[in-house]
Amino acid sequence: MRVKKIVLLLWCCCFLLCGCTVSVSLPTESSAVQASLSGYTTDTVPAYTEEAFVEINDNVPCFTDKDYTTQSFETYGELDSLGRCTIAYACVGKDTMPTEKRGSISNVKPSGWQTVKYDNVDGKYLYNRCHLIGWQLTAENANKSNLITGTRYLNIEGMLPFENMVADYVKETNHHVLYRVTPIFDGNNLVARGVEMEGYSVEDSGAGISFHIYAYNVQPGIEIDYADGSSWLEGTQKTEPSAAQMTYILNTNNHKFHLPSCSVASSIKDTNKETFQGTREEVLAQGYEPCGKCKP
Amino acid sequence: MTIAVCIDDKNGMLFNNRRQSQDRVLIEDLVALSNGRKISISPFSKELFAGDEVCIVEEHFPDKADEDTICFVENIDLTAYADKIQKIILYRWNRHYPSSLKFKLDLSPYTLTEQTDFPGSSHEKITREVYVR
Repeated sequence: MRVKKIVLLLWCCCFLLCGCTVSVSLPTESSAVQASLSGYTTDTVPAYTEEAFVEINDNVPCFTDKDYTTQSFETYGELDSLGRCTIAYACVGKDTMPTEKRGSISNVKPSGWQTVKYDNVDGKYLYNRCHLIGWQLTAENANKSNLITGTRYLNIEGMLPFENMVADYVKETNHHVLYRVTPIFDGNNLVARGVEMEGYSVEDSGAGISFHIYAYNVQPGIEIDYADGSSWLEGTQKTEPSAAQMTYILNTNNHKFHLPSCSVASSIKDTNKETFQGTREEVLAQGYEPCGKCKP
Repeated sequence: MTIAVCIDDKNGMLFNNRRQSQDRVLIEDLVALSNGRKISISPFSKELFAGDEVCIVEEHFPDKADEDTICFVENIDLTAYADKIQKIILYRWNRHYPSSLKFKLDLSPYTLTEQTDFPGSSHEKITREVYVR
């Protein structure tokens, strides 16, 4: 895994020199991961209307000559200081695809995770543990660097069609596809507003597969607070999440705890910052005091 | 004319000017169905029939098709040819892919005369449906 991370960092540096846009932020340990490598933020993609995804950059992926390889690989960026996924990048080939039955991923709780059901959601559960790179492409099961809190709609209508297209292309042609997925968060939000997805078939120079899209992490009929993943039916009032589902940011130095949206929380040094999920009583029992500003 | 089309679960045909999917067994199935007749295709589809002598490759091929012609269509909106189409061979991928070009022909004037499932080379189940006006 360490080698994968080093490769990803080197690749990021190369991208900064050669990328198709210039305003980018590297996935780092800081909490300021707001733009994808190609520079997209929630401010620069169209607002959601009725389609699960939108084409961006004229549907042209931002891979460069340095990326083009027919050697399969997969890399997963480290979680940031808020425990959020940063980026997943692979050269998908037949040899990265699963050969065994899929395992359980229920032990992973991605940032902002909430277990909540609605009658108007397909399968009832609002959130899925969404693979950045789909299991059918790289056979990653419970890899916490590859799983985000995503709506059912994002998973099935936004991301799965592209995973299917790439998987079937690779199986049919035995070619390779560069495949990169970047979750995009606003500020310190724990739930991504969407994911940027890029794909490019290498052996035929993109003739078979070439796309660059942004898929919305929304669920029709449901409102979502992306700060912590809480949700409510469209047209109703937001109800506060139960105490058992709270997420707090801990300052392990002064033993204060904060809401994820608290401005004080974003100024905590990475070395003193931890994400806590549980009840308010539990964090108090650990000797932490509530922040005087956000009053969690 | 007869048209043959591949579509996904959302009636999609094409995304970003690229076919949604491909399968060599499906092409073999279509060639077998043609029973020796030439299949008209566009240059876009030529690579799928590489090595086959069963195709006529030309632009705007549905315009030139007569009653006996089989046209394999990937990247054309067929609604403009609705009146000419006597028979439809519809291949369903039974998968959901992204799409920007949809199959929009109204099937209500046609009768479903055949429905067959078969495994492809890279697809678990492809469904072939035949509609006749």
